[in-house]
Amino acid sequence: MDSPVDPMERRAYELPTSAAEAPPSASAATDATTPWREALLTGNVLWFIRLRWAAVTALAAFGLAGLAFPVLMRSLGLRPQVDWPFLAAAILLCANLAFLGHARRIVRNPLRGSAAWNLSTQIVVDLLVLTMVVHFLGSLETPTAFLYLAHVVLACIFFSRRHSLLVAATAGSLYATCVGLERLHIIETPGIYLDPLLRRALTGHAAFPWLTLISALGIYFIVWFLASHLSELVRNQERELAEANRRLTLAQREKTRHMLRTTHELKAPFAAIAANAQLLLKGHCGALPEPAADVVGRIAARCRRLAVEIQEMLQLANLQSAEEQPAPTGLDLAEMVRWAVARVGAVAQERRVIVDEKLEPAAIVAVEDHIKMLLTNIIANAVVYSTEGGIVRVRCSGTPADGPVVTVEDEGIGIPAEKLPRIFDDYYRTEEAVRHNRDSTGLGLAIVRHVATSHRIRVRVESAPGRGTALTLRFPAG
Amino acid sequence: MSYLLIVDDDEDFATAVATVLRAKGHEVRMELDLSAAVRSMTERRPDLLLLDVMFPEDSTGGFELARTMRWRHENLKDVPILMLTAVNTRFPLGFSEKDIDDDWMPVTEFLEKPIDLDVLAERVDTILAGRQGRRG
Repeated sequence: MDSPVDPMERRAYELPTSAAEAPPSASAATDATTPWREALLTGNVLWFIRLRWAAVTALAAFGLAGLAFPVLMRSLGLRPQVDWPFLAAAILLCANLAFLGHARRIVRNPLRGSAAWNLSTQIVVDLLVLTMVVHFLGSLETPTAFLYLAHVVLACIFFSRRHSLLVAATAGSLYATCVGLERLHIIETPGIYLDPLLRRALTGHAAFPWLTLISALGIYFIVWFLASHLSELVRNQERELAEANRRLTLAQREKTRHMLRTTHELKAPFAAIAANAQLLLKGHCGALPEPAADVVGRIAARCRRLAVEIQEMLQLANLQSAEEQPAPTGLDLAEMVRWAVARVGAVAQERRVIVDEKLEPAAIVAVEDHIKMLLTNIIANAVVYSTEGGIVRVRCSGTPADGPVVTVEDEGIGIPAEKLPRIFDDYYRTEEAVRHNRDSTGLGLAIVRHVATSHRIRVRVESAPGRGTALTLRFPAG
Repeated sequence: MSYLLIVDDDEDFATAVATVLRAKGHEVRMELDLSAAVRSMTERRPDLLLLDVMFPEDSTGGFELARTMRWRHENLKDVPILMLTAVNTRFPLGFSEKDIDDDWMPVTEFLEKPIDLDVLAERVDTILAGRQGRRG
């Protein structure tokens, strides 16, 4: 039986660091398909190279088996073969090293080569080596001719229909040439089977080679037709998805721009209201009766809170806009933390909360204003949701191998476990938080989420109601 | 006592700012559009210009006026400018010290609206004191 869950026990939650949440790059918004397609092709290039190492190993192993275990092979009715498997393995090995070198250049600098060209060359080299294998194993009496199908299918996945048809035609031509040259006795092979009678039984009939060839070519064409058709359908869907994504990104950007403009339009009259409320409160228009001064005081206080709210809305909107974001620079994380602690100093003093800081220098590369926003929000939250006289411990450690770490730990009201996954949502505030502090906007941790996602900072929250919250930020190493 | 010019299309805001600065003993004039501001400064050079950024006829008119004063008006190029703005068109997260440069925003200081009038009065005093210090 499970032990009863202690509702006051400290529970942990880690903010998902999904790449999907990262702000889209400008290039993704302007041309959604091309760079993405090229990146996918580069991925396929590397995968195909890895696959080829398996083929090199298999061919070398086959040659070694012929060399080391000829008796065993003969007992299985197979002819030990040594020379051509090693030659084929050597050709594939050299070619694969060249493909790998080219692929690495593409990864480092996409302008220095085309992934499609690399893949095409890989397929052509494979088909040539495969024809050699087919010839030596037996082009008609073994099913090796079907090995060409793997490349036909892969070409359908990688390339357009026309391009993949060219690959299918090349495979068919190579196989037909091999069979034709063998039939005309221009090239000869004893094949893999030891028993000449078996070989003759399989291929002896005059029509058999041509029927096999026509069947193989027909199968190549059918497989090409089906695979390329399905692949085209998937590709069309990908294109539609990329287009939909591009439109969504543009719509989001337009929405953000509109919101920025609207917020500004609201900010200007609000600035006038706030300034005039201050005039009244400071006695520039004569002394106010006490009830009137109380009302104006409330107006001024609401203005201050609204100013903070507008600032946070603007910060969030700007983080979401992903447009003209400032460039990252080298920073000392400890300096940033110190700045944020100083920033919330007045609030801490007002609430009689002690901020205990132990900071080691830690180098990071980040957007300074964004990191300041992130840290200020986290430390301000720890202070605001502490109880009077509480301690907020702020630590910055630069030594961990997996990157600098900042922890902010309070002894405040805490967060119930079931609410932890929602605290980073826009405008979300727990009932407990509202009871403790009516003034917060619910945007502070949403800002934290955006900055953490764009800077690949891992955020972990551990909390227990009534016992406090510890928030750990793990910055990327290097 | 110094002569201050407030250029802001929001009359309510400009009046509130003028009231506080007059109470501090300064002579304050308000202009609600940019062409009137240029005329006013040509007639009488202010000791400090308090300038808004966005105007109905030009969303970055304040920046333009600041640049024109710095680059084209020999008489006005040294007038300190305190920019009062509700928006930052270059770096939308808020102005920072490093945004003040002669190419883009040639102003002495900036304050983001809504402003605390005490902070505004303090900044005005600081700028004017610095100016007098340089003269002395």
